[in-house]
Amino acid sequence: MRINAAEGNARPLADGGNQNLVSLVLMVVVGAIALVSLYMGFQEYGENNMETAFMYILIGVSGFAAIGFNFFRAKPIAKQTSGPKSVEVVTTLECPQCNLKRVRAHQVGDYIFKSDEPCTRCDGSMVITRINTRKDPKKKN
Amino acid sequence: MFHLLGQFPQQDSELGAILQALFSLAFFAYLMYAQRIQGMTMLRQIEVSLRKVKNFRDEGKKIAIKAIKEVGKPEKDPTPQVERFMEHFMIPPINMDPAGVVQKLGKIINVRELTFEREVEKMAPMATKAQQNNLENLLEAGLALNMMYKIVRHYYLMGKKTMNIYVIMQIHMILPQIIQQIEAYSAALQAFRDGIPIGDTVGPIVAAKLLNGAEVREIAKEMAAGEIEYEGRRVIITKAWGPGGSVGKPGDAIQNLLDEENGKVSMLITVDAAGKLEGEGVGEIAEGVGAAIGGPGVEKYKIEKAATDYEVPMYAVAIKQGMEHVVAPLVEELMDATDEAVSSVKGLILDYSVEGDTVIVAGIGNTVGVAQ
Repeated sequence: MRINAAEGNARPLADGGNQNLVSLVLMVVVGAIALVSLYMGFQEYGENNMETAFMYILIGVSGFAAIGFNFFRAKPIAKQTSGPKSVEVVTTLECPQCNLKRVRAHQVGDYIFKSDEPCTRCDGSMVITRINTRKDPKKKN
Repeated sequence: MFHLLGQFPQQDSELGAILQALFSLAFFAYLMYAQRIQGMTMLRQIEVSLRKVKNFRDEGKKIAIKAIKEVGKPEKDPTPQVERFMEHFMIPPINMDPAGVVQKLGKIINVRELTFEREVEKMAPMATKAQQNNLENLLEAGLALNMMYKIVRHYYLMGKKTMNIYVIMQIHMILPQIIQQIEAYSAALQAFRDGIPIGDTVGPIVAAKLLNGAEVREIAKEMAAGEIEYEGRRVIITKAWGPGGSVGKPGDAIQNLLDEENGKVSMLITVDAAGKLEGEGVGEIAEGVGAAIGGPGVEKYKIEKAATDYEVPMYAVAIKQGMEHVVAPLVEELMDATDEAVSSVKGLILDYSVEGDTVIVAGIGNTVGVAQ
């Protein structure tokens, strides 16, 4: 194990295309073997040695599948290592006199039941009735 | 296919012999080092999570320092004080002799709260009381992230040092839950920094909705209480004093209210957030009996004792939510659920009390971003 996040000197995080050197070398080696196997496989296929051809093609395809899997695995790692994200929060204001409703972005200092700003329709004062994040339509319980 | 694979070692070409040797080598290497390879794979996964936790921990510290500088306007840099705060710990009382252990724990928690209040006052002298409460909660979230980071790091380094699969497995098995908790605490940073209600705030929101602007007084430390009349019943409502982030002392508040009423209360209803099981919906409402309150147990003990002493039946309304919602900014489903919970409380009052009765309703939870 090479990375020392534990000791406080974390390296730049891996992203989709940035594999570390060791895995990159390994992938090149596996790729080369897979390529040779595929070449041999097609050659054997040309000579009508079906069984040998099948074996070489199987090795070649497995090699490329392993490389693909390694790239695929790198993506979630990049996703996982990002820091905390802020969510969009909205404040709903209602006028108790004329029932005018207004939704705006949350501002620091907002709190539920705060008499916040004058109503634009009547002389009343609008009260904050809801503070919540916006619903994500894609997300299920 | 198996037939073909069976023929694999019988290839007579040079390449076939090389591949056969490689295959045999890989087979024996795996035979000898399977557990080690498995351990290394698990360590790699723990390492990725550890980096994530470290990012969250560092970000939490940065957010706390920035908020203290902005709100508290301290004369000197608060970084060393924040770093000292992050290492704070609490030693629970010995429970070999369980008699009086709740009181002992309560005393220790009070000292902890006092220490945190003093620390925040020193760090942010210009902040208002509500802002100080929010900063205190923000620092507590940072402290929790720091503690989780240290635990994951401990097992990671132990596993790396010993390469013992069982040491590595201990942390690997609970890693998904730890990550879920860490994500929840990181979401809390935004909530406490900006004073946004969180999932746990549903109890105080229900109480505030029932109060509907009625006059309130301080009934216990950081606890508000007010009265309304509902269908001929006198309803006394209590919640933590907002809008700063505080859970108050609901146990003391209920004890004081029952003492004031000489126990002549027909029912006590507690409303709180409750953990949902997978498959249950966010914001589902459930009614039950008992004291709906989490935490270390001291306040729950006080509520149960007071209710038992005065023989007051306890009813509970739970608003279901996932672990990821409890300290994260309040989601729309939970905000909507507070209206349903208000109806549920009113339904309980109508079902189990008669006109002229006195009922106590307690909105349990952190009241960040909610006034009374």
